[in-house]
Amino acid sequence: MNTRILRPALAVYTAAFLLFLYGPLIVLAILSFQSQTGGPQFPIQEWSTYWYRHLFGLTETSRISQLPVGDSLVRSLVLAFMTTVVSTVLGTMSAEAFRTRFKGSGPVFYLIILGMMVPGVLVGLGMALLSNFAGIDRAWWGTAFVLHVVYTYPFAFLVMLAIFNRFDRSVEEASMSLGVSPAQTFRRVTFPIIFPGVLSAMLFSFTLSYDEFSRTLFTVGRELTLPLSIYGTFSVEIYPNIFAFGVLTTLFSFTLLVIYGVLMKRFTASRAGRFSGQEEAA
Amino acid sequence: MLKLSGVTRRYGDAVALDGLDFIVPDDTYVSLLGASGSGKTTLLRLIAGFEEPDAGELMLGGERLDGKPPHRRDIGFVFQNFALFPHLSVEENVAFGLRHRESKAVPAGSDLNDRVNAALDLVGLTGFGHRGVGEISGGQKQRVALARTLVTEPRIVLLDEPLGALDANLRARMCDELRAIRERLKVSFLHVTGSETEALTMGDTVAVLANGRIAQAQDSTSLFTQPANTAAARHLNAWNLIGGRVKGRTLDTAVGALPISQSLPDGSEAQLAVRFDQIGVCEPDQVPAGQDHFTARYLAGEFNGPTELSFFRADNGDLIQVVNHLSNPRLPDLTEGRTYALHFSPDAALLFEGAA
Repeated sequence: MNTRILRPALAVYTAAFLLFLYGPLIVLAILSFQSQTGGPQFPIQEWSTYWYRHLFGLTETSRISQLPVGDSLVRSLVLAFMTTVVSTVLGTMSAEAFRTRFKGSGPVFYLIILGMMVPGVLVGLGMALLSNFAGIDRAWWGTAFVLHVVYTYPFAFLVMLAIFNRFDRSVEEASMSLGVSPAQTFRRVTFPIIFPGVLSAMLFSFTLSYDEFSRTLFTVGRELTLPLSIYGTFSVEIYPNIFAFGVLTTLFSFTLLVIYGVLMKRFTASRAGRFSGQEEAA
Repeated sequence: MLKLSGVTRRYGDAVALDGLDFIVPDDTYVSLLGASGSGKTTLLRLIAGFEEPDAGELMLGGERLDGKPPHRRDIGFVFQNFALFPHLSVEENVAFGLRHRESKAVPAGSDLNDRVNAALDLVGLTGFGHRGVGEISGGQKQRVALARTLVTEPRIVLLDEPLGALDANLRARMCDELRAIRERLKVSFLHVTGSETEALTMGDTVAVLANGRIAQAQDSTSLFTQPANTAAARHLNAWNLIGGRVKGRTLDTAVGALPISQSLPDGSEAQLAVRFDQIGVCEPDQVPAGQDHFTARYLAGEFNGPTELSFFRADNGDLIQVVNHLSNPRLPDLTEGRTYALHFSPDAALLFEGAA
C-alpha cells in the first residue's frame, strides 16, 4: 500500500484511539468544573471551581456533605507504599533466585504467576473465609495487605526476571575476582545496574495496589481504602465533587509517572554511554 | 606457583576436564591453547572459583584453592567481554577492587588516587579517568579491564581470550604491551586463547589443552618444532598428519608406504607428522634423491600476504597443506587438478604411536 495514504491513515487511527482511551477522563475533567447548581452531567451551567473548594471544605456548608475520602486516601497511599516495598523486595529476590535455575523452578514460576491470574473476587472471598476461620480480624493493613502483595508481587517478579535475563553475569564475577564480597557486589554492582528495573517494578506495584478493588472488597474490614469509599458514595447520589477528586488523583498519578520518568532518565539516558554496557560485546 | 592435580569437571555426561594436571610457575607468561569447547574457559573459571571441580585439587603457593569463595582467592580475571562496570567511570572501575574488597580495603583518599593513577599510567590511559566506560574504544576498555585487575595486585592473573574482541592491529600491539606489563609486575599471567599464533607469541610456556588434559606444555620453539603427540601437533595448525599401520620399517598409509626411522611393533597404528613448511612439491618423476615422498592432487592456493598456503588432496581424501614463503619460494607454479609429488626429508618427519 502507498505509504502516502497509509501514514496519515495510521496517524488518524492512532489519534482516534487515544481519544477513545482518554475520552472518559476528559469528560470527567470537564464536568468537574460544573457550578454549584449543575448536576453530574452536561450541559455545564457555569464554569467554576466550586466542587474543588467543596472537596477541601472551603465552601459554606451545603446540603451536600463533604466527600469522606480523606482518611481512606491516606490509608490507600500507606497500603500502596507498604505493598510496593514488600513486592519489589520479594520480586527482586525471587528473580535473583531464578537466575540459578534451581530444582523445581518451573512449577514455582507458575505458582508465583498464578497470584495475578486468579480472579480477585475469589481470592478476596477465600481470604475472608480463611481469616474468619482462623479468627483474624480483617483490616486494610492485614488481610488486604497480604492480598495486595500476592497480587502485585508477580508483576514485580516478572519485571525483574526480564531485567536479570539480559544481565551480564560476568560483571558480578569481575567484582568478586577483585576481592569484593557477594553482598558488596550486589550493593555496588548488581543493584545500580538493575535499578531502572526496580523502579519499574515499584511503579507497577504502587499503581496496582493503589486502585485495587475486588481483592480489597472482602478483606478490608471496617476502615475502607480509597476505591471502596468512592464506590460507597455512588450508592447515595453522584455529585461533581467526585469528578473533582478524580482529576486530583489523576494529577497525583501523573506526578508519580513524571518522577519515574525523570529517575529513569537520570539512570539511563543521560549516562547512555555508560549504560549501554549491559550485554555489550556479547 | 599454581598447581592443578587431577582436576575433573563434568557437565552432565560431557566431560570438560578429565583429570588435568598442570603447573603455572611464578613470574611466567603461560599461554593455554585450546580449540573452542575444549574446556579452556572452564579451567579458568575453576581457578578463579566461579565453578568448583568435581574432583582433583588446586593449590596456589602451598595453599588449597578449591572450596574457597572467589573473592578470597586473590586471583585476577580479565574477561573476554571486559565486563567493565557500566555505571562507573574509568577511574571508579579501576578503584573498585581496592575500595570495596573484603580485606585490606583502601579508603577513598590520596593513596587510592595515586594507586589508580599509577595503574592507568601502566596501561597507557593517563588522563582517561573521568570518561564513562561507554565513551572509550575496545582497546581502551581492554586496558581498563587490565588496570582494574592489576591494581589489586593479584597473585596470578587469568586472561580469558583477552584479545578476541580486538581488531588485528590492536591485537598485535596489546600482545607486546601485555608482555611488557607482566615483566614489570613479576606476576604470572595465564592467557587462554584459541589462536596458535597468539599462544606462541605470548607464552614463555605454551600449554595445549585437548581432550580435557594438557597434551603438552613447553616453550614456544620446542612445542612448535617438536610436538610431543598428535593432539599438540593438530592444535599448532602447522603439521600434516598421515595415519597408517606399521609394516617393518615402513608405515603403510593410504598414500602409500612411507619409511619410518623408529622400529615399532608390526601392525600397530602410528601417525607420521610433517610440518607445512617442510614439504617440497615437484613433478612425480623428479623427486630429489634421499627425500621421502607421496603423491597428491593440487586443489587450490590461499594467499595470506607474506605466506601462501597450498592445499593438496591425497588419494584417500586427506587434506595436505604446504606453506610457501613469498620472499623465499620453494614451490614451482602449480596447476589446479594436477597430481604432484610431495617430498620431505626423512629427518623432518615425526612419528607418533597410536591411532588418529
